Amino acid sequence: MSADLKGPQELRSEVIDGQLCALCGACVGVCPYLVSHQGRIVVMDECNLSEGRCYAVCPRTSVDFDELNRVVFGVPRPDGELGVVQEILMARAGEGAARKRGQYGGTVSALMSFALREGLIDSAVLTSSNEALLPAGNAVRDESGVLDCAGSNFVAAPTLAEFNREAATDAQRIGVVATSCQVLALAKMRASPLEQGNHIEKLKLVVGLFCTWALRYEDFVEFLREKTDLAEITKVDIPPPPAEVFEVYSNSSCVKLPLDEVRSFIRSTCDLCTDMTAELADVSVGAAEGVLGWNTLIVRSETGAELVKKAAQGGVIETAALPEENLQHLKEAARGKRKRALRNIVDRTGSSEDLLYLKLSEEALERLLA
Amino acid sequence: MTQKDPLNVIVTGVGGQGNVLISQLIGKALVKQGHHVTIGETYGASQRGGAVMSHLRISRQEQYGPLIPEGQADVILGLEPVETMRVLAQYGHPEVIVIANSRPVYTMAVTTGAAEYPGTQEVTRTLEELSSAAWVINATEIALEMGASILTNIIMVGALVGSRALPLGPEGLEAALRDSMPSDKLEVNLTAARRGLEEARARVAS
Amino acid sequence: MVSIATGKPGTRELFMGNEAIARGALEAGVGFAAAYPGTPSSEVIGTLAEVAKEGDIYAEWSVNEKVAMEVAAAASFAGVRAIVAMKQNGVNVASDFLMNLNLTGTRAGLVLAACDDPSALSSTNEQDSRPFAKWADLPLLEPGTFQEAKDMTRWAFELSEEINNACMLRTVTRISHARGDIELGERIPPSKEARFTATSPVDFTPYPVPFKHHQMIAKLEKVRELFESSPFNRYVGPERPELLVVTCGACWFYSLEAVKALHAGDRVGILKLGTTWPLPEKFVQEHLARTERVLVVEEVAPFLEGNLKELVGGHLADTGPLTFYGKRSGHIPDSGELNPDLVTKALGSVLDLELEGVSPEYVQKAQQLTGSHTHMRAIGFCAGCPHRASFWSLKNALKLDGRGGFVTGDIGCYTMALGPTGYFQVKTVQAMGSGVGLACGFGNLARTGFEQPVVSVCGDSTFFHAAIPALLNGIYNHSNFTLLILDNSATAMTGFQPHPGIGKTATGETTPAVDIEGLCRAMGVRVEVTDPFDLEGTTEKLLDLLRDDGGVRVLISKRTCALVRARQEEAEYRVHVDPEKCRGDSCGCARLCTRVFQCPGLIWDTETDTAKIDEVICSGCGVCADICPAGAIINEAV
Repeated sequence: MSADLKGPQELRSEVIDGQLCALCGACVGVCPYLVSHQGRIVVMDECNLSEGRCYAVCPRTSVDFDELNRVVFGVPRPDGELGVVQEILMARAGEGAARKRGQYGGTVSALMSFALREGLIDSAVLTSSNEALLPAGNAVRDESGVLDCAGSNFVAAPTLAEFNREAATDAQRIGVVATSCQVLALAKMRASPLEQGNHIEKLKLVVGLFCTWALRYEDFVEFLREKTDLAEITKVDIPPPPAEVFEVYSNSSCVKLPLDEVRSFIRSTCDLCTDMTAELADVSVGAAEGVLGWNTLIVRSETGAELVKKAAQGGVIETAALPEENLQHLKEAARGKRKRALRNIVDRTGSSEDLLYLKLSEEALERLLA
Repeated sequence: MTQKDPLNVIVTGVGGQGNVLISQLIGKALVKQGHHVTIGETYGASQRGGAVMSHLRISRQEQYGPLIPEGQADVILGLEPVETMRVLAQYGHPEVIVIANSRPVYTMAVTTGAAEYPGTQEVTRTLEELSSAAWVINATEIALEMGASILTNIIMVGALVGSRALPLGPEGLEAALRDSMPSDKLEVNLTAARRGLEEARARVAS
Repeated sequence: MVSIATGKPGTRELFMGNEAIARGALEAGVGFAAAYPGTPSSEVIGTLAEVAKEGDIYAEWSVNEKVAMEVAAAASFAGVRAIVAMKQNGVNVASDFLMNLNLTGTRAGLVLAACDDPSALSSTNEQDSRPFAKWADLPLLEPGTFQEAKDMTRWAFELSEEINNACMLRTVTRISHARGDIELGERIPPSKEARFTATSPVDFTPYPVPFKHHQMIAKLEKVRELFESSPFNRYVGPERPELLVVTCGACWFYSLEAVKALHAGDRVGILKLGTTWPLPEKFVQEHLARTERVLVVEEVAPFLEGNLKELVGGHLADTGPLTFYGKRSGHIPDSGELNPDLVTKALGSVLDLELEGVSPEYVQKAQQLTGSHTHMRAIGFCAGCPHRASFWSLKNALKLDGRGGFVTGDIGCYTMALGPTGYFQVKTVQAMGSGVGLACGFGNLARTGFEQPVVSVCGDSTFFHAAIPALLNGIYNHSNFTLLILDNSATAMTGFQPHPGIGKTATGETTPAVDIEGLCRAMGVRVEVTDPFDLEGTTEKLLDLLRDDGGVRVLISKRTCALVRARQEEAEYRVHVDPEKCRGDSCGCARLCTRVFQCPGLIWDTETDTAKIDEVICSGCGVCADICPAGAIINEAV
């Protein structure tokens, strides 16, 4: 494996203290030294090992996209903005609760419920928040629990800590709904020889979520507390441009906050993230721009294709062709995020030979920046 | 053995092993026999797991100070192997006699993995090379056999008396135990002292 | 078993220096004894308390040394001989009263036993308390042997009554905590005619101050005369020695041994002083006249040296030229306690002699064979100590809180939390109660940009001694910190003496126990109580309290000291490690229990490379089972 074999000391200095941490939670829950608390990864004590799985599974260390694509899809990363793609569609949940509760089209909830119902998975690791808006991984074994986890509040969640915990239980086939950095960590887990003892083979399904950024918890919630009563919040949303607002819904009202102010709480690592569409997942899902109530659905792997086919056949999801304009915008957006990230990385290190956590040849870098 | 004057004895161990108790036992018994005895001890913080040393100065002629000068211990009674080595290095000389308990009390450096505890053979070899006579006694094992590890120090003082390195005989030790032990604990302590004496006799004979 | 009360006159017994002092007090008919525990002084009042009933005397553990001195002074005022004992820091605490008592004068004999701890073997500082006698214009006696510890104490009561002022007897660890055989004397019964009679409106006050100050100094002249013929001062050596060693206290033993070791008995004379303030000037000058070179051997400060030079400076014409060696010249180390080797080295250096020690081959062999194993044996919390659990939770809570919070510390077993046994949590330590005082200060720095949470840690005995006024200060001045009171129902470090929270006196009588929780609530702060063995619950409570910014809040972490509990009951659990489940050195554990948690009951099995319980040391508390990430530590209820 080409990934560097380092340990907790480097994780701390390079990632946590280096402000690269995405709070994906992959390092949490397998040892007593790393815990997540109030939106931070906390190092509880000094672990004296020189090599550890924490460094190996972290999405902000030693990332070689070609190698990870080989591990997940059997091929190196193809050229293009969106990674491995079998098909790109629009989709939404079939009639019913999933559609109502979803952020956009309810596709993710519908797919996860279906996967549980059919026994393709026996545990779904999702994300939900408490009354103080603190999100955390939430493993559900029954489809009735899926809808409770629908929706997002745009705050980074250490979801994979829950995956780690669940993988050590009697669950046998686990599905995870994950953002790009979390999907990347899951791919690193599959690639790492240090991970075998932690039951990574139980991971059967990864549903990726498109993601441009995620917020820091503590100061964002302080900010919200000044604007509204946290306990009353039912949903938050970011309507498409040119709105430039962050909408906070309660039973009685909708408070619109300037999106720029909310952006000041973005985790610094998001500016260094090249992957908008969660490329290493079985399927990836996001909004369908300008099409209310629909999702964009990228089908990538055989597992993903099977799932979508069966779900569509069963009326669990409805699919439709994605308008060409949407596809172009999607590609542009993905390309834009990748370029910005690479430029930010080179700005930070001062050299195109040091790409922080990315293992990319200079020639590959040039291609991506072209 | 002609008695050196002053006879310098060091009892060493780890806080909680009861070396203060046995140094007092020996001291009181010797005072009864007309010796001048001074005992210097390090109390207090060192008792929380730290090293504890008792320096005994025994003389027919005068009262000596409570600290033995370096290199001048005549007898070292060690309740713990590494503490015995430590004392030997600082206070020993080629003629010193050493009687040591075999059971380690690991230092935090050892249990945290930062240091290694010497093996039994290394300990025995070290004690033998740095003394004129060295005995290693499995006092803790004997004490556990008798039902309480706390008897270790009494077994060791029995061995010390049995070695005849002190101007104190078994009767003197027994009298001291009778004088200081509560009645419900007397029998088991007397037995422990006798077990120590037996250990000594077995080695003197060989 | 012979006690300080039952020992028969004319017999020889092996007594600790402190026991000798206590016996001396009994022989003088002491009727009243008070102290706050402090190493190396605790046994003076400790042993008097043990024999209080049969000795028909009163003995108490006071809440602090100032109060102890005050209660003893009251006895003296009422005509009852009294003794008060304390370590060097205690003299500091009592000093304000002492500096008023000396002007007021005493009535029945009052002896202050000040026991110093050179090298701070069991203290936070190293301090010579002898200068207090000089500042306070009180007589100072320093026993150089165990016999003198008894005899000086007995005489000190008479001396005190000669001048109607307190008398200070100063020892060090190597007298107080060492044992030597002494000959016992007759005891006299304590006075039974206590009565307070003021013969003037200012009789029992320092007023009028300049007048009483002058009186106090005049008293000292009387003492000086008595000291001129004291049997506690003596000279041994040749008529005209090449070098005169002037020494006092335990250094007398070391000086004798040093002269012997260097075979310099024909060259060196030793002037041993037992009465070191005021100096018996004529007596001293006579002996200084024997020689031109003087080596002063004392600890801790160059107190005697300075006074000798002051004396000589006032009599230059008479004394003739003198060269002084000692601490000021660097021959005697300026810090740390002395021992025969250091004194021999100093003496040898002045005389240009070297001691023939152990052969270099032996020394080298010893170094080779033992050098790698004789690293410092670290002190730490006992197995089962509730402080270990409290500091584990505190460490976790501060880490999770994430705002750079820190801990101010205080004096007790928990001071060891400066080190790995307490996860390096405690960051400051000075005097009793100082941790709370410092926290008050840190907690009022918000307007200067200070944002770190502050936790002050103190024990139950320290709380009663000194923390209460500081806590009141924090509440009154609206400081922002959390006070963590570690209530283990013991004054453990000094030997388990009872205190106001325990409900028993020094002499074993039942007394109302002061409830710390109720006391804090009455002061008007948020108070929570936790069991330190409930790691999760304690961490949560701490996190919650840390976040409750804006005032003082108190968490009482309550569980009996492991050593006290072991005397009262059986272990709760039999604990063992399942070597199959133990992850040991591997990723996922990396020896958390032995390397980080560090309870001495947890050791390493080098054969299986797993953790193991040392059944001799384990106290059966079961806490380690909660921290094991693999669930490999099993508690079986006993």
